[in-house]
Amino acid sequence: MSQAVKLEVKGITKTFPGVKALDNVSFSVKKGTVHVLCGENGAGKSTLMKIINGIYKPDSGEIVIDGKPVNVKNPIDARKHGISMIFQELNYIPEMTIEESFFVGSWPVDSIKKVDWKSIKKKTDDLLKREGLAYNSKTKLKDLSVSDVQMLEILKAISYDSDIIIMDEPTSAITNKEVRTLFGKIKELKERGACIIYISHKMEEIFEIADEITVFRDGKVIDSRPVEDYDLNLVISQMVGREISDSYPKQDLEIGETALEVKNLSSKGSFKDVNFAVKRGEIIGFAGLMGAGRTEVMRALFGLDKYDSGEILINNVPVRIHSPQDSVKHKIAMLSEDRRRFGIVPVRSVKENASLSNLKRFIYKGRLHKSEENAVIGEYFKKMNVKTPTMDTTIDVLSGGNQQKVILAKWMVTNPDILILDEPTRGIDVGAKYEIYELITKLASEGRALILISSELPELIGMCDRVYVMSKGQIKGELSAEDITQEKIMYLATQN
Amino acid sequence: MSNKAKGKINPDMLSKYGIYLVLLVLFVVSWMANENFMTKSNLTNVSVQIAVGTILAFGQTILIISGMLDLSSASVLALAGVLSISAYLSTGSLIIGFLVAILVSVACNVLNGLMVTKFKTPPFIATLAMMTMARGAALLYTKGQNIYQIKDYTIFGQGNLMGIPIPIIFLVLTLIITWYILNHTVFGRSIYAIGGNEEAANASGINVDRVKMKAFIFNGILVGLAGVIFMSRVNGGLPNGAVGYEFKALTAAVIGGTSFSGGVGTAFGTLAGAFIVGFLDNIMVMVGLDSYLQQIVRGAIIALAVIYDIWSKSKGKSKKLIMVEETKEKVS
Amino acid sequence: MKKWLSMFFAVALLAASVTGCSSPAPTTEAPEGSEAPADGKYKVAYVARAQADSFAAWLANAVKEESEKYDNMTVDIFDGQASDDTENSLIENAIANKYDLIIIQPNNGEAQRPYAEKAIAAGIKVITTNARISGIEGASSVDADPYKQAQVNAELAVEKVPQNANVVILKGPPGNFHADERYKSWQKEFFEKRPDVTIVGEEIANWNKDEAMTYMETWMQANKKIDAIISMNDNMAAGALEAVKDKPEFAEIQAYGVDGTAEACLLIKDGKMTSTSLQSAYDLATALMDTSNKLLTGEETQIDMDIDCPLITPDNVDQYIEMHKKAGAIN
Repeated sequence: MSQAVKLEVKGITKTFPGVKALDNVSFSVKKGTVHVLCGENGAGKSTLMKIINGIYKPDSGEIVIDGKPVNVKNPIDARKHGISMIFQELNYIPEMTIEESFFVGSWPVDSIKKVDWKSIKKKTDDLLKREGLAYNSKTKLKDLSVSDVQMLEILKAISYDSDIIIMDEPTSAITNKEVRTLFGKIKELKERGACIIYISHKMEEIFEIADEITVFRDGKVIDSRPVEDYDLNLVISQMVGREISDSYPKQDLEIGETALEVKNLSSKGSFKDVNFAVKRGEIIGFAGLMGAGRTEVMRALFGLDKYDSGEILINNVPVRIHSPQDSVKHKIAMLSEDRRRFGIVPVRSVKENASLSNLKRFIYKGRLHKSEENAVIGEYFKKMNVKTPTMDTTIDVLSGGNQQKVILAKWMVTNPDILILDEPTRGIDVGAKYEIYELITKLASEGRALILISSELPELIGMCDRVYVMSKGQIKGELSAEDITQEKIMYLATQN
Repeated sequence: MSNKAKGKINPDMLSKYGIYLVLLVLFVVSWMANENFMTKSNLTNVSVQIAVGTILAFGQTILIISGMLDLSSASVLALAGVLSISAYLSTGSLIIGFLVAILVSVACNVLNGLMVTKFKTPPFIATLAMMTMARGAALLYTKGQNIYQIKDYTIFGQGNLMGIPIPIIFLVLTLIITWYILNHTVFGRSIYAIGGNEEAANASGINVDRVKMKAFIFNGILVGLAGVIFMSRVNGGLPNGAVGYEFKALTAAVIGGTSFSGGVGTAFGTLAGAFIVGFLDNIMVMVGLDSYLQQIVRGAIIALAVIYDIWSKSKGKSKKLIMVEETKEKVS
Repeated sequence: MKKWLSMFFAVALLAASVTGCSSPAPTTEAPEGSEAPADGKYKVAYVARAQADSFAAWLANAVKEESEKYDNMTVDIFDGQASDDTENSLIENAIANKYDLIIIQPNNGEAQRPYAEKAIAAGIKVITTNARISGIEGASSVDADPYKQAQVNAELAVEKVPQNANVVILKGPPGNFHADERYKSWQKEFFEKRPDVTIVGEEIANWNKDEAMTYMETWMQANKKIDAIISMNDNMAAGALEAVKDKPEFAEIQAYGVDGTAEACLLIKDGKMTSTSLQSAYDLATALMDTSNKLLTGEETQIDMDIDCPLITPDNVDQYIEMHKKAGAIN
């Protein structure tokens, strides 16, 4: 089956400050086919799609359509080139009606350049009837179910008569029945000669719908083959298959009693029936794809969010935690994944940031003992190799890695028994990363219980004694010792 | 990893100490404009005149640093003042009168605090509502008339202790207390943290609601004190008194380096800001500048102060950090 | 729940500022005809310029009290909050609620004029006061003349103020009719007649005691010699005198005001203030109620009258102190 090539991606590179998102990416998509892109979070797939759709400009390389290089200036321009895109995050305006949203940006006009609402209504009604959707074209989007909105998004993209349709996780919010409908539509589109670029994590779907698969990893294309030449194991191993260096400072530590146990923790809409435990001296990992619910569980545990049911036991005693203050009292610490929002106070000094969670420690005769504060915090900074001009430097001039160390120091000052670290090395340079791994190991060796949420599989494998894997708000499995492999983690993480 | 260019004017330093430079320049210019400016009696005079506004400004400073503000302080001052005088006149006790002022003012501010913490009302709206209610209450209580013949009550605003006017003593006391709170207490640190990033402060274990309440209560004590001094100085319970003083207080705080974006501000800076406004008013009247022109000048100073505040803050911030954050969102 | 409550606050605040809070809300029953009402009492609306202005408040209180003496009238007080918009809306409301008579104390005569005319057209009787709006067909008025009020003081000042004196002037709010008229009066009746006098300070103190005090304190720093304080009202004069009190260099300073407040009378008695002229809210109130009664019972169809503005000096201050004592303003 040799069909003509519709779209070619040639040598695309895109760098954001500090991060190379795409590195010399090339592959081609044939007319009338479904081309699936696979890869972990941050592998670069969405960035590439945004470039094709005109949202970003590549640093180098080109996009070629029907043999001619094109310069897509913006999404409206993309539609003129026959490209339309369904986004991963639903982008819609709740107050808009169905007919308004359908033609957003390209409303048909009549002879006097007025928006032709009559023709819009007719077109919308026709479409809704054809698809068997029992909605009035004047229904507001906010009155539709999430899956309906997503279906409409899909219909909208299809309605543009585009011949390159990009679908980024289109089935994330729709029911199985609607998935069937979608796949039916996709078949129609293929017959029409359009091509579909389909991003998904769902392995069963991929193998059902794909004609060709391209695997991404760390911004590069690892491989690109027809689906017959792939099986599940190969896809997964290509997605994750990087060299696992032994450069993690893991030691064999003495593992003590259970410090924290969580039973049947549930929060409607976020996670369900979460059960896990951590012992002293242990580092347990929480793996999962974006949206799996790991951060939500920890935020509930720490008292930042409410949960509906479940029990939390510390040293086998049930506790009630309603706020971060309660957590700190119970000697729990949490390093948030969103440092900017929940971690640092940007306009204050590194010293003030570092002492914030345990100011009581520095009270002497009713007031803040500043020299004691300077000494203690200074010690921590020295041990952790925090690079800052002075103790009074404002924290927001430090590099990301050093900021992270300051916040980690803040939690160490509270002398916690249980430490939750949510993506502690994200966005941090290699050198600082290693220092943080050493700190984590040291904390565990002091008899504390550590929970490590991470999207970096090598990190989880290198640092953790056990790994819980979450998907769609539930724990799908627990891996320990030699079973902690990238493939096994990824397999569980992509479970439905 | 500092962005400070060597050799150029350091924006951090300018931001912190520039205010004192402006005060100095103002002094020198005023001295040259009118020979009577730089006399002990004039300087003392101005200090007494700014006492009420500055005490209010210290309260504002604490509130603004924590990300809030108080539009009701002038009205609550009036309510507290007239009730205080009334209490003194009926009991004959200055102490009771004084305490009533503090109590009334704290009560109003506790209400402010409840609206903000329990009912999640933005401080602007909550204190705006209180501003109208308190003023209405003061007018209702006095039927719109001034209370005269307040006898010994005048001591608070017109008396002297060892040759120093009592308002100045109160001013210095509140300055020291405010400075101490901001620099040497856990409460002060919490204020800075909450104003700098409330979500991070909360996630760090700070009891945000409790700290905010405390801030309003402290403000209440200062406003009550200001009410006593004000009424005492004008020798009457004026339900209409001090109109616009909340803005005077805000102006002093902002000129003194307290930023509306939160987490920044000092007691001494506010004092300098209050002096700048006070001395400016003083010299404008002494040289006989036209009333309308005076208003324009006052407004221009505020605008300049705020523009400068925003400008100096944006210079010091690391551009790099902003970019790393943008990256995080894009790479998914 | 919490969001709803903050919305409630915002809406309540908006409502309060738009409709204007007043003392006792009027009992608006089903509107009756404009003839003799069923319960025998005429409904009178008194639309005050602003409750927050102490003279206006004094007047409103006096009117309310005076109205108690009449069995055939109930008076409802409304607060215009120093805003033309608000005051005009209140007049319209009064028309809609079929009041028998509306007394208007205008914020700005020309702004209220069309609404006063509307009331007349609706068959409602209208009295304008403090300051009257002249030239409305069929409306009545009761007033004191601000020009005269200042003039009696200015005439005394022409005699008393020493040669080559330094004086300071304290003015009312800009654009305020009374403030402007009084100032005009001082210009013509004093400053033009005494060209030897030097003005060493002139500021707007907005009728306020504290503002006047601050200005006086500063003027005293800049000028060793100040001979007289010329103030457009008593509050400001009292404020300036407060600054001067206990200062031997200014022991002989003269002070002139307008209004005849209780405080001013006491200051005159103490020899601290030179003179003021009475703008008796009591007299105005008496005149207003008497006029209202005559108009409502049909005894008269139209009245225009002025109350007196007698000069108060140390020679005659005692009777006015008595007056204030009787009214409870002085203990």
